[in-house]
Amino acid sequence: MAMRLERQPDEVVDRDVTLTFTWNGRTYPAYAGDTIASALAACGVRIFSRSFKYHRPRGLLTASYLDPGCMVQVGDEPNVRGAHRLVEPGMRVRSQDTWPSLAVDVKAANQLVGRFLPAGFYYKTFMGPRRLWPAYERVLERFAHGGEIPDLSSYQRQDHRYDQRHVHPDVLVAGGGPAGMAAAVAAAAAGATVLLVEEEHALGGHLRWGGDDVRSALRELRGRVETAPGIEVLTDSVVLGRYDDNWVSVVQRGLPTVNERLVKARAKSLVVAPGLVERPYVFAGNDVPGVMLSTAVRRLVDLYAVKPGHRAVVLSANPDGDAATEALRRVGVDVAHVEDARRGGDIVRVHGRDRVRAVELGDGRRVDCDLVVTATGWTAPVSLLTMAGAVPAYDARAARFRADPAQLPDNVLATGGVVGDGSLDELVAHGEATGRVAARRAAAVGRRWRAASPTAHKQAGPLVEVADDAPPALPVDPHPELFRARTHGIVDFSEDVSSADLVTAVAEGYESAELAKRYTTATMGPVQGKLETVNVIAIIAEATRRTIEETGTTTWRPPYAPVTLGALAGPEREPVRRSPLQSWHDAHAATPLVAGAWIRPDHYGDPAGEVRAVREGVGLIDVTPIGKLDLHGPDVPRLLNLVYLNRWSKLAVGRVRYGVMCAEDGVVLDDGVTARLGESSYLMTTTSSGAATVWEWLERWLQTEHPDWRVHITPVTTAYASINVAGPRSRELVRRVVADVDLDPDAFPYMHVRTGTVAGVADCVLWRIGFTGELSYELHVPAGHGLHVWEALLAAGGDLGARAFGVEAQRILRLEKGHLIVGQDTDGLSRAGSAGLEGLVKLDKEDFAGRPELAWQDQQRDYPRLVGLRTTDPTVVPVEGSQVVADDGGIGGRVTSSRMSPTLDRSVVLAQLDASLAHAGSEVTIAMVDGTRVTAVVTAGLAQVDPEGERLHG
Amino acid sequence: MVERGRRTGPRPGRYSALSLLRHGVTGQAWPAAWRNHDMRRGYRVVIIGGGVHGLATAYYLARNHQITDVAVLDKGYLGGGGSGRNTAILRSNYLTPEGVRFYDRSLQLYRGLAADLNFNVMFSRKGHLTLAHSDASLRTMRWRAEVNKLSGVDSDVVGPADVKRLVPHIDTSDRPRYPILGALYHPPGGIIRHDAVVWGYARAADHLGAHLHQHTEVTGIDVSGGRVRGVRTTNGDVAADVVVNATAGWATLVADMAGVRLPVQTFPLQAAVTEPVKPFLRTVVVSGTLHVYVSQTARGELVFGASVDPFASYSTQGSLEFTEGLASHVLQLMPSLSSLRLLRQWAGLCDMTPDFAPIMGPTDVDGFLVDVGWGTYGFKAGPVSGEAMAECIATGRTPEIISSFGLDRFARGELLGEKGAAAVGH
Repeated sequence: MAMRLERQPDEVVDRDVTLTFTWNGRTYPAYAGDTIASALAACGVRIFSRSFKYHRPRGLLTASYLDPGCMVQVGDEPNVRGAHRLVEPGMRVRSQDTWPSLAVDVKAANQLVGRFLPAGFYYKTFMGPRRLWPAYERVLERFAHGGEIPDLSSYQRQDHRYDQRHVHPDVLVAGGGPAGMAAAVAAAAAGATVLLVEEEHALGGHLRWGGDDVRSALRELRGRVETAPGIEVLTDSVVLGRYDDNWVSVVQRGLPTVNERLVKARAKSLVVAPGLVERPYVFAGNDVPGVMLSTAVRRLVDLYAVKPGHRAVVLSANPDGDAATEALRRVGVDVAHVEDARRGGDIVRVHGRDRVRAVELGDGRRVDCDLVVTATGWTAPVSLLTMAGAVPAYDARAARFRADPAQLPDNVLATGGVVGDGSLDELVAHGEATGRVAARRAAAVGRRWRAASPTAHKQAGPLVEVADDAPPALPVDPHPELFRARTHGIVDFSEDVSSADLVTAVAEGYESAELAKRYTTATMGPVQGKLETVNVIAIIAEATRRTIEETGTTTWRPPYAPVTLGALAGPEREPVRRSPLQSWHDAHAATPLVAGAWIRPDHYGDPAGEVRAVREGVGLIDVTPIGKLDLHGPDVPRLLNLVYLNRWSKLAVGRVRYGVMCAEDGVVLDDGVTARLGESSYLMTTTSSGAATVWEWLERWLQTEHPDWRVHITPVTTAYASINVAGPRSRELVRRVVADVDLDPDAFPYMHVRTGTVAGVADCVLWRIGFTGELSYELHVPAGHGLHVWEALLAAGGDLGARAFGVEAQRILRLEKGHLIVGQDTDGLSRAGSAGLEGLVKLDKEDFAGRPELAWQDQQRDYPRLVGLRTTDPTVVPVEGSQVVADDGGIGGRVTSSRMSPTLDRSVVLAQLDASLAHAGSEVTIAMVDGTRVTAVVTAGLAQVDPEGERLHG
Repeated sequence: MVERGRRTGPRPGRYSALSLLRHGVTGQAWPAAWRNHDMRRGYRVVIIGGGVHGLATAYYLARNHQITDVAVLDKGYLGGGGSGRNTAILRSNYLTPEGVRFYDRSLQLYRGLAADLNFNVMFSRKGHLTLAHSDASLRTMRWRAEVNKLSGVDSDVVGPADVKRLVPHIDTSDRPRYPILGALYHPPGGIIRHDAVVWGYARAADHLGAHLHQHTEVTGIDVSGGRVRGVRTTNGDVAADVVVNATAGWATLVADMAGVRLPVQTFPLQAAVTEPVKPFLRTVVVSGTLHVYVSQTARGELVFGASVDPFASYSTQGSLEFTEGLASHVLQLMPSLSSLRLLRQWAGLCDMTPDFAPIMGPTDVDGFLVDVGWGTYGFKAGPVSGEAMAECIATGRTPEIISSFGLDRFARGELLGEKGAAAVGH
């Protein structure tokens, strides 16, 4: 650790704990508390990456999370901020996209041809011949800058954890510098619960490297935060975004057992206190390793006890630059020269390629050195304020964009450097006043929330707005406007964009700041403008001879800091739904079928056999996923009349009716049966996939159009296990397990419903319907007893040949019968008439969803029709989706459903056909997926098995 | 040789490797890609909207029809709306024959665009995979593939092994939620540099004589006697024989100025981009079920998009919920991306029509044409729309390729059938 200094008073490294880690395969030592970059810098490493375009060597610039030159690969994690991430024992750290090595990088040859590669050069070449573009593309692709993501198998071998947390603080303080800490303490003292979020590894902000003058103040503030009741501190955490109603997202990093956590806060008040970000200065060679910001120097020296160089030149325009000079002198760095920008001093060029060798001053003098420090101004990170509605304006006197706190909503306040300057006492006082206001406003919000809640205590004081004394404004210190020397240098370090590139872009017509940025890609990189935006705007302003105000600012979009997809996704949130009978299906070798969120039995090994069992004897299918809605209230018939095409006013108790719903454009939305169980009690079923949609659809009509209707809807899909018992012997089987329902066909006819006890289970709903085309009973059994009833049915039906059948057999059965499936035999344009449902549409009804469109369709004759097809060759089963081709070669329709029918021993097909082809007996041509053509004839009806429905009604 | 329209200014420096070299050696500055002009008191054609549609229309008016008395007006900078906010995916594997034919022509124009405009638009034909997670979506894929094949478009259903081969990072394992049962593979699809398309058209249109007026907002449209007379702008009043509404997000508001009502609702669509990583995703991946599409740019960033927000709005603010859902869905497909960081999110505005197809051509106001209702598929259609709108303006007749997209189809009830497939059709 050749560059490690003797113990520093404010250092954060623990010299009692030495760790080792590897950097590009070599082992390095570190102290606990070291960042990757500080540990390497302490060992004399000066180059951490190569730049994007020209592969220039890059060293430390800010020595913070934002440092664009310190992106490294840690194990299988790409783009780790090496100047922020703490070293862990055994960490494997690599430089990113360097070849063959960081020291000797072949692509650095681009520097030699840099003059031929101006901004946007790729738009001007590689255009022809077209066949060579893929080869050019491969070359350009090699310049993609970043780390490597792990392949799937190596990722899955390791443990990765991401999670999320919800919090509801009264006050959320974004930034744990002096003002933020003071705000948190004051808010807590006023009784608020506070979440204090700090980006760095410790509270303190700029006080951490403030030296002797502020050490005791920092200790005291930290002590107050620690002892105040109700403050939770999150370090190594950043507020990412502020959305409506103070919905605030925070990323929490550096947790021991979790890779990253997303904290979601509904904050009653948000205090924005991110301080200031030091701005780089633009001049020739400003990216050579050894050029760094004054704050980087102070971090290295004070926090990590690392000597930033041996011989320094400082360009200082402010007291922080002067303080950096002092810090360097204190630790024995030879400060060869201080150039005072306040008196017109300037730095125009750095000499050296891999390291600083000398610097050229504004007056032409050349000073040998290996460290160049700049302190040329600050950028206010107004991102959260702009997300809350403020529009930052450029303040030439302070040389930065500032947001006017008056533009903020009541629940967002700002304090500290982002709004002004001032002495430490002034900052703390402003923070305290802000914290108090935040707490008062939070309390007022809390009272409003409680007043609106019927269950909360109302004794929390009167519902009045507390008078609110806004904190006095902080002074704003003047600062010289310093953006660029007379030479050109790098503006966006992560994108390798120079000021010359911006000037070129403007000259080529890309004059709007947004266009110039897009053309050069300035501010598009991982730092997202936090370091470079103001320089970019200043240089565009200079190039367009406009003022900075006229040139404008940028829209800050969330997230403020990058956040992993893992944290955003949180733990797996994709539940799988299983019926209570699923264990039985699994035990009986069912092939699973994924149907939306449900797992269903596709078949039990022999779908054709299952079909035959249903046609000849009796079969059972688990239909639990069908949507079930319990409807209660006197106005249910009105609702049913509104959403279904047919009439519902006269449905008697004990009856079941089939209904089809259409959207307002007349397109078929869903179908199902609804039973009237009691005077004002109904059970509606929907398709499995439509369950949620239909519930929303009904609620939408009730809540937005008919809030006066007395209807209460409860989704009960999973409250029941649903079992369909189908086949000519189904009555025989059901009779064996049902005690209190008369199953005689006259007592319980087709399309009727009864409630009763099945296999000892009370409160079951039974109805007679027939999707399969057979005599069948659908049993809705309280879910907890589903398996019992299922097994009881199978046991009771052993001699009847009862067996389970799966979804595939059901699909074949319904297809043989010509029953359509909404969404398969219909599509996004199929109105009722195109689904063969004209008969259901009761246009003489008062009104219903889709009525005008269906009335219109009723007058047309040329809409597509759903038809049955019989292939000329009975063994041919055209794949669903095959196209029907018309004589002119155009498309005349498509096959929507097709299967080989075990009952008929030939294929059965449904198709959507153009009206001109859709009459019984007409011959059509189907284009098979293998390119061959087959013919088929349109059948008279949709049903191929039992078209008269004798089996169903039996 | 392509016939050039009337040139009113100096020819901009032609772009080529050689010219790059020459400029590099001599240090000579490049001429502006387009120029600033004073607003004339009148133009034959005024196009509202300086995005890819408006600029392409201006370009093809000049190139194909020698009409150069044209102004393109934009209230902001060129390409600042949908053209700069989309996810730059190109494909032509649509569901209806009309859609397939139309987008295939667009793809054809895109393929030749770099040479045509002398501006490298970086069309990367990565191929386009639409994943099927259920047998229902597999059935729709088959339907699309068959329509595509009959229309001569390269598109077919592939199995999970092919998906794995094309995108090794996809988890094709047998899992209960969102298993990958197959995909619709469309090799000619890909991504393009969307800004470059805008700039290329702008530069070429300017070169052929069209005037581009940025930061010029249209505040009114003058109509009298059933025909359009001109527009009022923040930059003065401008007379015009033909006014084209080529806006998105504000299409209804602009049409209202001419008294034309559009059956359009505006919805935000959100998108996001990650930090760059080394190239690993060589195909565009779309999952309709998971409402997500992913591609990796030449710069290494992953670009994500989704379906439109569930409510109508003019807001372009992003939401946290969007990024959460997006991340969760992307990780369902490619779990090893969990340590990849999201860098930026944004939103654009999509003008949705009842049948998810655009509205193009004349309106009841003579001389007022629309090229609107582009939903989530406007960028893909930029070149063919410009070409067809230019022909429509120049000839006064609606070209056959857009004849089914007329505004009057809603009155006639002749809606198009893309709705089923286009909900997340990227």
